[in-house]
Amino acid sequence: MKIGFIGLGIMGRAMALNLIKGGHTVSVWARRAESMQPLLDAGAKAASSASDAAQGNELVISMVADAPDVAEVMRAVAAAAEPGLIAIDMSTIAPAAARRIGEELAAAGIDFLDAPVSGGEVGAIAGTLSIMVGGSEAAFAKARPAFECMGKNIVYVGASGAGQVTKAANQIVTGMGVLAVAEAFAFAAKNGVDRSKVREALLGGFAYSKILENHGQRMLDRNFKPGFKSWMHEKDLNIVMQTAHELGLCLPGSAATAQMFNAMVGSGMGEEDSIAVLKLLERLSGQE
Amino acid sequence: MKIGFIGLGAMGRPMAGHLQKAGHQLFVWARRPESVGDLAATRCATPAELGRCCDVVFTVVTSSADVEGLALGPDGLIEGMAPGSVLIDCSTIAPDSAREIAARLGEKSIAMLDAPVSGGEQGAIDATLAIMVGGEAAVLERVRPLLDCLGQRIVHIGPNGAGQVAKACNQMIMVAAIQAAAEAMRLAAAAGVDCARVQQALAGGSAASRVLDVMGERMVKRDFSAGIEARLHHKDFGLVLEAARKKGVFMPLTAAVGQQLNALMAQGWGRDDTSSLLRVLEGV
Repeated sequence: MKIGFIGLGIMGRAMALNLIKGGHTVSVWARRAESMQPLLDAGAKAASSASDAAQGNELVISMVADAPDVAEVMRAVAAAAEPGLIAIDMSTIAPAAARRIGEELAAAGIDFLDAPVSGGEVGAIAGTLSIMVGGSEAAFAKARPAFECMGKNIVYVGASGAGQVTKAANQIVTGMGVLAVAEAFAFAAKNGVDRSKVREALLGGFAYSKILENHGQRMLDRNFKPGFKSWMHEKDLNIVMQTAHELGLCLPGSAATAQMFNAMVGSGMGEEDSIAVLKLLERLSGQE
Repeated sequence: MKIGFIGLGAMGRPMAGHLQKAGHQLFVWARRPESVGDLAATRCATPAELGRCCDVVFTVVTSSADVEGLALGPDGLIEGMAPGSVLIDCSTIAPDSAREIAARLGEKSIAMLDAPVSGGEQGAIDATLAIMVGGEAAVLERVRPLLDCLGQRIVHIGPNGAGQVAKACNQMIMVAAIQAAAEAMRLAAAAGVDCARVQQALAGGSAASRVLDVMGERMVKRDFSAGIEARLHHKDFGLVLEAARKKGVFMPLTAAVGQQLNALMAQGWGRDDTSSLLRVLEGV
């Protein structure tokens, strides 16, 4: 397929590379021109703007930071688009924002899919991301070959916004999951028990999770390099809390977790991996 | 003085009445004309027209978007108010919105104070409101006689937006105290103890507070009809938590109380009093 790709950060770069490896014809654009070079070396064409990345392509994919960025990029896409183009946003933004963008594009005759991902940098490089998709099912079917180059667990969830709702639900589980593992480790340490043994024992039971396995190991190694930056998890949990506020939905665990991530950003740990929440717990209990 | 007033709800109506009683000439604009009722005031067709007539304009409305629309929107105050006139916004809105509106009005030399109030409907009726003011001190001194008609404790907090920050702090403390009172009442009832006596005893000790007096009594009497509609506290908690997020401030209790307010809204008590937080606990 002919695909335009916009946004070449840690995630976007790896995803675009996998599209090229999958035999697709890819043109790329990023705000910082230097981030395009690795893709051009791999055989991508350089687009001169977001509009240009859409022109003459069947698909255009965005992977950027936040809703205003997505809206801006998609407005540029709409201005240049030819009928039949499918626009796909794989960033994590609020479901309501995704629905709004979907409506705007529909008015311009463009199909829009919200298709956020889970699996981090590792999953992006390996092409094993989980991809959760909202929008028209027909557009999803057409875009599926592209998704298959980037991910393994590809689920069509429902109408526009449903992909972002799923991603928000994912961030509830992973946010509280990281905090739960960190609290278990803080608990073990304060009791003078070896945390690595606790992890090993728990991995065999109902407390098993990928987070206990992977993030737990990184906590033991005190390797706080991202991975997934705390400020991004804070941003995602804010989407959850804003949506809960608008809907009148009681999420006490998410609220407590969001405050922990908020405190991490406020105390200068925003650029560290979200597992640095362990350090915040240790500080609160004088375990430093 | 010629005074404009927009927002004749439970708070605004008695406030407008006090200004009129003090001898000021009142001009009003209302989205729903019938809300002016029997108030003897000159009605204006638009906020801009009201702005043209007045030296000082008060707004007491609900949201940041409401104030932005009134001040800066089509036919807004900015199109009518003269250089040197003053907008006093007594609504509870986001500090950032207050700063932005003040800056836009400032470009036309129109002064603005953010002057949110605390004390509820009774405080508005009794003219005993606490008023927390953000903006230039010299502007506050010019209009202080007007604020003296409305409240007893008028404090200049700092530049524009500072009044709204103070109000956010007020809301955090107040609603957390309502939640604490509700949990205490719930524990007393579950333990088979008379809530009225607990509330009476506590009022004389270290836990005494205005919230325990007023909201505690509502809980004891199970009178959940609004004093302050809970939906407004819910709205304010959205502002407070957003402000905390922007500054990276850790607020675990406020976040937890915010979720109880979400539950209250979900159960359809948004137009009842915030003492309904007790009913949320009882439903668990």
